[in-house]
Amino acid sequence: MTEAREWTEDGAAHIDVRGLPPPQPLVAILRRVHMLGAGGELIVHHDRDPMMLYPELAEIGWDAERIPAPLGEVRLRLRALR
Amino acid sequence: MTVAGAFLGGASGRLLPASIPLRFFGAAVAYHVLGWLVLVVAPGDWMAFRGGLGWPLAALHLFTLGVLGMTALGAAAQLLPVATRQAPVGARALACIWGLYTPGVALLALGMGLALPALLAAGGIAVALALATWAILAARHLRGARGMPGVCAHAWSALASLFLLLASALLLAASWLGWDVPGRQLTLPLHLLFAPFGFMGLLALGLSYLLVPMFALSPPPRESTQLASCACIVAALLLAAAAVFGLMPDAARALSWTLGATGVLLHLHLMRRALAAGMRKELGRSFVLVKLAWAALLATVLLGGVLWAGVELPRAEPAFGLALIAWLLTFVLGMLQRILPFLGALHAAAGKRRGPTASMLTHDKALKAHFRCHLAAFAVLALAVAIDAPWLARAGAALGLAGAVAFAVFHLHLMRKLRAAGV
Repeated sequence: MTEAREWTEDGAAHIDVRGLPPPQPLVAILRRVHMLGAGGELIVHHDRDPMMLYPELAEIGWDAERIPAPLGEVRLRLRALR
Repeated sequence: MTVAGAFLGGASGRLLPASIPLRFFGAAVAYHVLGWLVLVVAPGDWMAFRGGLGWPLAALHLFTLGVLGMTALGAAAQLLPVATRQAPVGARALACIWGLYTPGVALLALGMGLALPALLAAGGIAVALALATWAILAARHLRGARGMPGVCAHAWSALASLFLLLASALLLAASWLGWDVPGRQLTLPLHLLFAPFGFMGLLALGLSYLLVPMFALSPPPRESTQLASCACIVAALLLAAAAVFGLMPDAARALSWTLGATGVLLHLHLMRRALAAGMRKELGRSFVLVKLAWAALLATVLLGGVLWAGVELPRAEPAFGLALIAWLLTFVLGMLQRILPFLGALHAAAGKRRGPTASMLTHDKALKAHFRCHLAAFAVLALAVAIDAPWLARAGAALGLAGAVAFAVFHLHLMRKLRAAGV
């Protein structure tokens, strides 16, 4: 995969960044977060722990929560902290 | 599971224990202070330095091995697993490398300063062993690399340069001991070529392809151009080495300079595009330093061309040396003030609902003082070189020392905050 895949499902925005080399997942996720704004929610499909993402999210007042995912996938729900 | 939980729960974590990179960065900060301090208190006119044992040579190695090398070792140990998409290896080995390298640099510098070849050789052997072990660890990472061929090509080339650099360094140390080894007219130019341009230069350029897009939040630079830049610089290094061995020296130097300048311009073109395409436009003082470092790199290339072409330009040689140091030192310090709070925030978040952010860990006043003093130091040193004024050079070194102390304050503040956060 050379680009992130984005879609909306059950009212939530999703982004799949699996297979992308660093720092493309970070850039794609943050770009999507900025587009969503403070009230949004984003489900991230990743193939690893996005370590570099967490300080960036904290810096803009967002949080990540690990949610169940198939084996081999790391799935996160990103939301603005209230 | 929150951020921290997700972070801890992952089996694919690519973070080394915090203490590993932080001990390398801490030693680099300490050697930064020592390097400037030696220049402030060193007796005599160190601007007249043209080689030989003494405090100017010691100060040079405190900067190159102590600051640049130490930072490169710590940063690459943490960044290569990220770039190559693998779990980090050798945390214990890295701790041993630090334990060997850090006193090794001190012994080497002391041996140079006090003109004691035996001490110099003892320190040199410790440094060489540490660097060779580190190179083996880095090679293990690179062998299993997935993706980022541009970063990997730079890293492989830097490792090859490291072995040439170590070989020339050991031969130079042996010559100080009075051993019968190949002449300094061969080993010294090779050392001066492969240390700043080969090892440090290629590593700095290669890791920039990861760091700059990461901080600017931009797409990765085009891989084919990264590889072309790397190929040009490696070819330039090989041709320059051929010139040292007397193989068509004039033609080899001319071609080497052309290829080297092309490689540098390609790199700077990619960096400019990455910054222009980045989501984050306000990158702060750290990236002002990085941009000034790139300007110093261009000055290094231009002055190198002037020297190789044999153009009569007064003070070109010390100006070249100053530009070279300004490039690498300014780049490393610019990146370090960005990496340290970022890395700290990563570790501080572990096990907490909400850990400190990178901006909470930094010390803006100290970094502002460092920024001003660092730039003033190099401006004053440039003026001192231009008008050949040793007293002014010492004043420049005093400004550099003030900047280094301010940087150390920033580092200590960050360490205190990290300790309070339980890291």
